[in-house]
Amino acid sequence: MDDQQDIRVLLVDDEENLVEYISKRLLKKGFTVKATFSGEQALEAAGRDHYDVAVVDLKMPGMDGVETQKKLREIQPFLQCIVLTGHGSIESALESGQEDAFQYLLKPVDYDALVAGIKDAYKKKQELQGAKFQEEVQRIQASGMGAHGIRKALADLRKIYGV
Amino acid sequence: MESNSSLSAELRRVTRELASYKIELHQTRAYLQCILQNTSDLIFATDAEGTLVSLSKGGEKVLGYSWIEVAGKPIKDFAEDPQSFEPVMADCLEDGCALAMDVPFRHKEGRTVYCNASLMDLINREGRRVGTVGICQDITRWKRLQEDLVQVDRLAEIGRIAAGVAHEINNPVAVIREAAAWAGEVVADAKGLGTDDRQELEEVMKKIGAQTERCGNITHKLLGFARESRPSKSELDIHELLKETIAFLAPQLKHTTIKIDLAFAEGPLLVKSDPRLLEQVFVNLIGNAIHALLEKGGDDKYIALGTVRKDSEVEISVEDNAGGIPQEHQGKIFELFFTTKPPGKGTGLGLPISQNVVRSLGGEITFQSKVGVGTTFRVRIPMS
Repeated sequence: MDDQQDIRVLLVDDEENLVEYISKRLLKKGFTVKATFSGEQALEAAGRDHYDVAVVDLKMPGMDGVETQKKLREIQPFLQCIVLTGHGSIESALESGQEDAFQYLLKPVDYDALVAGIKDAYKKKQELQGAKFQEEVQRIQASGMGAHGIRKALADLRKIYGV
Repeated sequence: MESNSSLSAELRRVTRELASYKIELHQTRAYLQCILQNTSDLIFATDAEGTLVSLSKGGEKVLGYSWIEVAGKPIKDFAEDPQSFEPVMADCLEDGCALAMDVPFRHKEGRTVYCNASLMDLINREGRRVGTVGICQDITRWKRLQEDLVQVDRLAEIGRIAAGVAHEINNPVAVIREAAAWAGEVVADAKGLGTDDRQELEEVMKKIGAQTERCGNITHKLLGFARESRPSKSELDIHELLKETIAFLAPQLKHTTIKIDLAFAEGPLLVKSDPRLLEQVFVNLIGNAIHALLEKGGDDKYIALGTVRKDSEVEISVEDNAGGIPQEHQGKIFELFFTTKPPGKGTGLGLPISQNVVRSLGGEITFQSKVGVGTTFRVRIPMS
């Protein structure tokens, strides 16, 4: 096992067989994986638990990958999304205002590229989160609260960002 | 005396009248002659038995015969199928006129000429039918254009279907690949497997993986072909690309005597351009040359591929000795749907698309053709 026990991955793809095998392989590698088969299921899962990286299929019946990704980030702003696209849909995905995805991977997805992508996405998430945390801390310090107020505010922050 | 003078007055009057009729007749005839000489339509007249008694200049052109050759022959003999022409004549006999679309006539050279025909009875002063007049418009070119459009439509449809199938197959292929990879991991961890069994299983999983990879490559290529895309430029060696193109066309060159001569500039010829689009252009140009050589090339058929560096551009030439492009076609070869190949063989799309592609890459295609000798196409593209 590698050292990704603490990376929490949310898989979203309507191709259940594919999700099953990818989950198994990721789990074996040490990731924490939640498999969902639709955008709706993914949002439900994101409402309950905290995730670092979402791997979202672009083309799904019902809520598509673009929308799923957008809504996931509304729930968890630091969540990084890797979008899986079919051939030729990368441009269309980009055109539909998609620059917030961390990465696009062409289907059928190369497993090693996916694992590398998840690790990179996790790193990015940590950085963003850390920077934001620092910023908030400074804001609180600059706000001139008393020691007690600062302690409480920091505790709240820790809870929010899971730091 | 009196009756004499009135008679001569009457005679003068009749003479005057006759003269004016003569003028009118002359003018009417000149008018009709003018039409018959200048129309591009096939206008004919027959006697009551259907024997030709008149044919317009346009008719001579449409059928390829001169009037002397057809005079006195039955019109139905010039229909592709005389039997099928008779009902049209019969209709005309019954109703006094008849309209028929797409009537196939046979040109002197054997090809089929399609006409929209309108037939009318020719009636004399007593109201008796003395023959038939037909006005036929040559619509062969329109028909060919229509066939081409159908062909283009069909190609586009095939492309769409192929893309759809490729897309759908991608998913199951991905599942097979992941399943095999997972099975491979399970095998790797399995305890109690004999060495031979383990080796065998690992081998099998690898094979499944490699074959699904292959499927993926095929679907990607197919999707890439079916999809129109903007140029995506990358660094490439024109010489490599040309060699690959020849390799791609090798099946067409097999069993022919066509020689391929390469006269390349020294070293690799690096440009920043779209390799997939350029390959499409070269496949088209070299493919055309092969087709022309097989059609009308002499004994020592060759295609010479040359490359030259010119300032910030490179020029690739494709030369053949297939007898050149007829003068009257030279202005049309980049026109959409212009083709000299038989229906179903050529779409008339190759060169116009190639021209568009090269222009989208910032270049230009030009050609020089010497009738009786051969043709050279030149593709100029910027180095970056």
